[in-house]
Amino acid sequence: MTMTSGHGALMEQSPYGLQSKKLAMWLFIASDAVTFAAALVAYGFLRIGSPDWPRPFEWPSIANGLVMTFVLLSSSLTMLVAVRAAKGGQKSKAIQWLGFTMLLGVIFAALHLREWFHMFAEGWGLSKNPMGGPLDFGAAFFSITGLHLLHVISGVVALLVITIGYKSNRLDDNHVETTSLYWHFVDIVWMFVFPLMYLMNAR
Amino acid sequence: MATDQGPSMTTYVGIWVGLLVIVGIEVAVTYQRPETKSLLAVLLILAFIEAGIGLLFFMHMKYERKILFWTVVPITLFVLLMMDHVWADAFRMFSLRLLQ
Repeated sequence: MTMTSGHGALMEQSPYGLQSKKLAMWLFIASDAVTFAAALVAYGFLRIGSPDWPRPFEWPSIANGLVMTFVLLSSSLTMLVAVRAAKGGQKSKAIQWLGFTMLLGVIFAALHLREWFHMFAEGWGLSKNPMGGPLDFGAAFFSITGLHLLHVISGVVALLVITIGYKSNRLDDNHVETTSLYWHFVDIVWMFVFPLMYLMNAR
Repeated sequence: MATDQGPSMTTYVGIWVGLLVIVGIEVAVTYQRPETKSLLAVLLILAFIEAGIGLLFFMHMKYERKILFWTVVPITLFVLLMMDHVWADAFRMFSLRLLQ
């Protein structure tokens, strides 16, 4: 099957059956996935190479991480509701559930920052280790969780932009769905960050 | 354009519960205090299962055309596998630091 443009030229239909923006988002997600993988492999490299790697996380930190995981997984669920509503033409419902998703994203970021400031107060930093072991722990932990936090915050901003555009009819349900791919990706990355950064370093 | 509209909300909620259960299993396994290598293996396997479920259902990959899967996933896995070349050097660094 072929399509014609305004100039009468023949074009092949995309074999992916996707809008270009959705395919572009998938390709971006693949590149971002290997970026996180590189950071996690670097952390693994430093950890394996250090005989006295610290394990600083006691139960309160793990519990906080559990709550963060619950919040982020729930935000993926609310995002799914929003996309289904958008696809079904239920605009106000979609906007409402986009709002819930953004709220959960903000809560996740707040919990994360609270954990960070707690660690700063204990003496941890990018190159500080109050437990007296290798300084690499701080660099690995804060850079990986910081990169993820940046993605969460960017995702909330993107969701806000999409919601405003969708509400004013400049954007449509496909934009909502494309943005939801990014949000689910951020959730999936946390499925690796939480066990590798928190559970592997539980005291 | 997708080949299928996807699962129902009930299925999505079920998958969400399943993912939470997997996270609970991860924490439970951690506090069994297994050897580090065993813990890492279990956590990585569970994380990949979670990622696969998220990719197929939440990100709707299961309901897209197969060519999307074959375009995105194999090359990503290939890059992840190529990164694994560093581990031998990490263990060498461990041995060197032990000798110091």
